[in-house]
Amino acid sequence: MKNVLAIAWREIRTYFTSPLAYVVVGVFLVLSGYIFYASLVRFSNLCLQYGNNPYVFNQLNVNDMVVRPLFGSILVMFLLMLPVVTMRLLAEERRSGTAELLFTCPVTSAQVILGKYLGAAFLLVVMLGVTLSYPLLILTTSAKPDMGPTLVAYLGVLLFGLACLGVGLLVSAMTENQIVAAVGSFGALLMLWAITWIADSATMTVASLMNSATFGLWEKLHLGTGGPTLGDLLNKLSITEHFQDFRKGLLDTEHVIFYLSLIFFSLFMTQRVVESRKWRG
Amino acid sequence: MIEVSGVTKKYGERAAVDGIDFTVSRGEILGFLGPNGAGKTTTMRILTGYVPPTSGTARVAGFDVQQNPIEAKRRIGYLPEHPPLYTDMLVRPFLRFVATIRDVPRKEINTRVDRAIDRCGLTPVADRLIGHLSKGYQQRVGLAQAILHDPDVLILDEPMVGLDPAQIIDIRQLIKSFAGAHTVILSTHILAEVTMTCNRVLIINEGKIAADETLEQLAARGERTRRVTLRLARPGDGVEGPLRAIPGVLSVSRDDGQDGAFVVETEGSRDLSEQIAHAVVTHGWGLLEMRPITRSLEDIYIRITQRVDAA
Repeated sequence: MKNVLAIAWREIRTYFTSPLAYVVVGVFLVLSGYIFYASLVRFSNLCLQYGNNPYVFNQLNVNDMVVRPLFGSILVMFLLMLPVVTMRLLAEERRSGTAELLFTCPVTSAQVILGKYLGAAFLLVVMLGVTLSYPLLILTTSAKPDMGPTLVAYLGVLLFGLACLGVGLLVSAMTENQIVAAVGSFGALLMLWAITWIADSATMTVASLMNSATFGLWEKLHLGTGGPTLGDLLNKLSITEHFQDFRKGLLDTEHVIFYLSLIFFSLFMTQRVVESRKWRG
Repeated sequence: MIEVSGVTKKYGERAAVDGIDFTVSRGEILGFLGPNGAGKTTTMRILTGYVPPTSGTARVAGFDVQQNPIEAKRRIGYLPEHPPLYTDMLVRPFLRFVATIRDVPRKEINTRVDRAIDRCGLTPVADRLIGHLSKGYQQRVGLAQAILHDPDVLILDEPMVGLDPAQIIDIRQLIKSFAGAHTVILSTHILAEVTMTCNRVLIINEGKIAADETLEQLAARGERTRRVTLRLARPGDGVEGPLRAIPGVLSVSRDDGQDGAFVVETEGSRDLSEQIAHAVVTHGWGLLEMRPITRSLEDIYIRITQRVDAA
């Protein structure tokens, strides 16, 4: 644990002694602040407009119209910006030769990876922590947002960000080039997002796919060809689809477990990649 | 302290290290010599556990570096060929970080870091950014990083590269100060370095050990025969005959490069300089110069590495 924290702390120092952390956090805050402001202005205009129409006025909800769109935008920004946070982590160690220091010290590769991941996660928490001021800001006005769903959405966006960092770290382990790492994890994340786009037309069931893959053996074993379709499966794999319930303020363990297992899977794969690189020399 | 047995490392079909065996006992300073691409760095990487061997085992302080990597690594200080430095850190925080992950007890970190800074002459740059330091200072930071935890075994891959002559003397002193209590392996191209710091030499060529000897043994290799150059003012046609007549002289040859210069090769067991001088004087050839040729370490090194090439 001491090693993990030392590596994480060194990583955090590097983030904040280079312009990277300031640029990423700065750009993120300017954009999210602007989007928050824009939707807040739109909301207050609508309130003024329908102030004397109690039916519409009661439909207006600060959670739905300000907080929820904000999280949608943060999601897209994470998708675009978090690869920049992770691209350096392992790629740069390899390129500059400091990997040789880390891996000849009495630390395990799991400790190195966990330390690096925690360092990046710290930056994510800082980014997200500052945006907590937005809903707190509305709390001081007459429009009281419901803090329960807001906090659930925060949990969702944090899990989403952590999953992005995991995928980014995995790609960073595969290359010595930071740009390649950034583009690779960017591509992987976009793919995990776009994977649902053919879900509607993928009506073939998973079981019948298995059947044709095993040349009918599946059917002979009476395993059935009904059940979920390929589209359902793709929907379950989508990194953004699992966020939708959080955004509505719904806390479902299915989604929490999806993100946690994605994080675990990518960290595990990162460890495998780092170990296998040794053997390839 | 270090036992390497049957270690082979293959990259694809090519064997970078091919079945090498050696042991190093406590307190020895072993010089690792070899031409570029001979497998020096690969051997060091295997010893430090950075690269696993294809076959064979390496043990450091009794711990197999593959089976028990953490315990083995705890006892090793390693300076790779390119000093592994985080260029965006200051010297002192960097050393403190390395001390932490090298398992230096928390209470001792500050004193150990201060001592390493002092020993490697880093005091004037201790609070500067590593990326802004000269190559020589960066090399010293790399060395400081390797000695922080007072390791039993110190493995240095070309520690003298990029240092100026004054710094080389400092670092050489530093390495020598490790002799006795610590075991040091250092690789180098510079042969003089080996004579000055090491007490044993391992010459490696094309992944195989070409020689494993103490300095004395290595120097003696050159002395199976002795050679003397002569420069004479009035060499007649019959110089070779009378010289060859001296018992113990094996051959006499004219040195084509210089007028009146001869090379006399004699048995290594005795010094015949006096008899040769006497012969020259009695024949009145006019002795201008007489100089024994000592075979330098360079010659021995080249001979050993080329002999393996030929084989």
